[in-house]
Amino acid sequence: MHPATEKLVSALQDLSISVEACDYQQRGYHFEIDLEADKLRPLAECMLAREMFLGFVGGLHVKPAVEIIYQFASFERACRIVVRVPVAGDNSMPTISDIFQGANWHERETRDFYGVNFTDHPNLKPLILAEEDVDLKPLLKKDEDLKGATEVRWAVPVEEKPEVEKAEQG
Amino acid sequence: MENLAENRTAYTDLEPATDIPNENHYYLNMGPQHPSTHGVLRVLLEMDGEYVVDPQPVLGYGHRMQEKMAEHKNWMAFMPNTGRMDYAAALPYNHGYVALFERLCGIEVPARAEYIRVITSELNRIVSHHLWIGAMLLDMGAFTPILYTFDDREQVLDILEDVTGSRLTYCYFRVGGVCKDIDDKFVEKTRAFIKRQRERFDIYNKLVTGNIIFIKRTEGVGVISPDMARRYGVTGPVLRGSGIAYDVRKNEPYSVYPNFDFEIPVGRNGDSYDRYMVRLLEIEQSLRIIEQALDQLPEGSFLGKAPKKMKMPTGDCSFSVEAARGELTYYLVSGGGDIPYRLKIRVPSYSNLSVLPELCQGMLLSDLVAAMGSMDLVIPEIDR
Repeated sequence: MHPATEKLVSALQDLSISVEACDYQQRGYHFEIDLEADKLRPLAECMLAREMFLGFVGGLHVKPAVEIIYQFASFERACRIVVRVPVAGDNSMPTISDIFQGANWHERETRDFYGVNFTDHPNLKPLILAEEDVDLKPLLKKDEDLKGATEVRWAVPVEEKPEVEKAEQG
Repeated sequence: MENLAENRTAYTDLEPATDIPNENHYYLNMGPQHPSTHGVLRVLLEMDGEYVVDPQPVLGYGHRMQEKMAEHKNWMAFMPNTGRMDYAAALPYNHGYVALFERLCGIEVPARAEYIRVITSELNRIVSHHLWIGAMLLDMGAFTPILYTFDDREQVLDILEDVTGSRLTYCYFRVGGVCKDIDDKFVEKTRAFIKRQRERFDIYNKLVTGNIIFIKRTEGVGVISPDMARRYGVTGPVLRGSGIAYDVRKNEPYSVYPNFDFEIPVGRNGDSYDRYMVRLLEIEQSLRIIEQALDQLPEGSFLGKAPKKMKMPTGDCSFSVEAARGELTYYLVSGGGDIPYRLKIRVPSYSNLSVLPELCQGMLLSDLVAAMGSMDLVIPEIDR
């Protein structure tokens, strides 16, 4: 692991955020973080201080709550981090657009598509959709299509039965 | 007719004059139909005389909800859509999409197919830079350069048309390879193009690079600092103009890019002129990649074995490629089956354009045209 990546991970762990390493060959990113909304802003500040940039912000509609997905990456080394944050009960999420200004448009777009309210966002007006379509929320799933958060998580492949059993059968 | 009149009132009501904080300021709509926005983009400009106080891009005129479409059909049926976002360089979009599923399902790609992908993607990058140089200069009032760059662009488009069947919105890659093999004629024509393009750089340099009007219009205009680029997630030639050598082809190598020797050109000042130089130098680097790929081109199959009905495993997967405008990321969440549960498409121009309000504050309107032109925007990509 790159020393700067190690420092980033330990800085995140100091914020009592648990960082899970992923297999890049399979997943296309190096770390995943499941986060509570109250730790999002400290995490974003830590990412900026450790010279990461914000790839994108997107939504994911699962049960029980819409999740907001943040992807961070580095200009200097191969280090890509996916952060998932479920929105709170009142459908709100703290903004990070004052830390990463690039989040401004991404959050507006996520509000267009999912109706999530980013608190303290400076200008949460429709961006991609028209102003009159303020209640459209096109990416929210119908009830019959909606899956649980764990159903769309990476499933660890079931390990094959140990050799010993095969030998017994033979 | 009555409806039309009503609509017109509604439209003018959108920005009532009382909103103007300073009575000397006025609003100017640049677009949605404007020659220098290259697509249907509106920039709402708050102006003080000739100076821009606050430029706010208004998006969505070309919005097609690609991400919703991806959630509603078999994942192979979405393939043509990938060629219809960044129409100026569609092959990297093809590449990212098929490579995403190859990564998720663990599908092997024959070496020859990977080489063909790299060759055609780099040709497409060159085409995109041709288009940009011509269009950018046209924005600033120089009519001649586009005639030269489009002459060169036609050469490449003919080569790509022979093998892909399209000139613009490609759908050439398949999971496991590409849909048609390249032949000796393709190799011959590509080599001829490389030789021709190297001779043409001299014309570009005489016409544009050293042109005093071009230098005066672009030097020091629209300076993006490395810090600003990081805060906005700027990528691609716009970022490299600011001196950060970030390129997904080097940073997170994919396909057969590690097999080639090429450099990442970077600028020093982060102004519009540096962004021009970066793209010009990138054409040469792409030519180098293509040259090496043609030399090393392995024999063998161009399309590997991929099951016709493919079920995706559950989970999420991300794939980033270096498109002509920067980092393109497909982020897929799969709930099993053959229809994606969610496909997020991170397009480079979106983050690049979001710099505009901070970048162009206090600029002359004519400088905004130069600064915005130097970002190489493709609007259907931003709107998706």
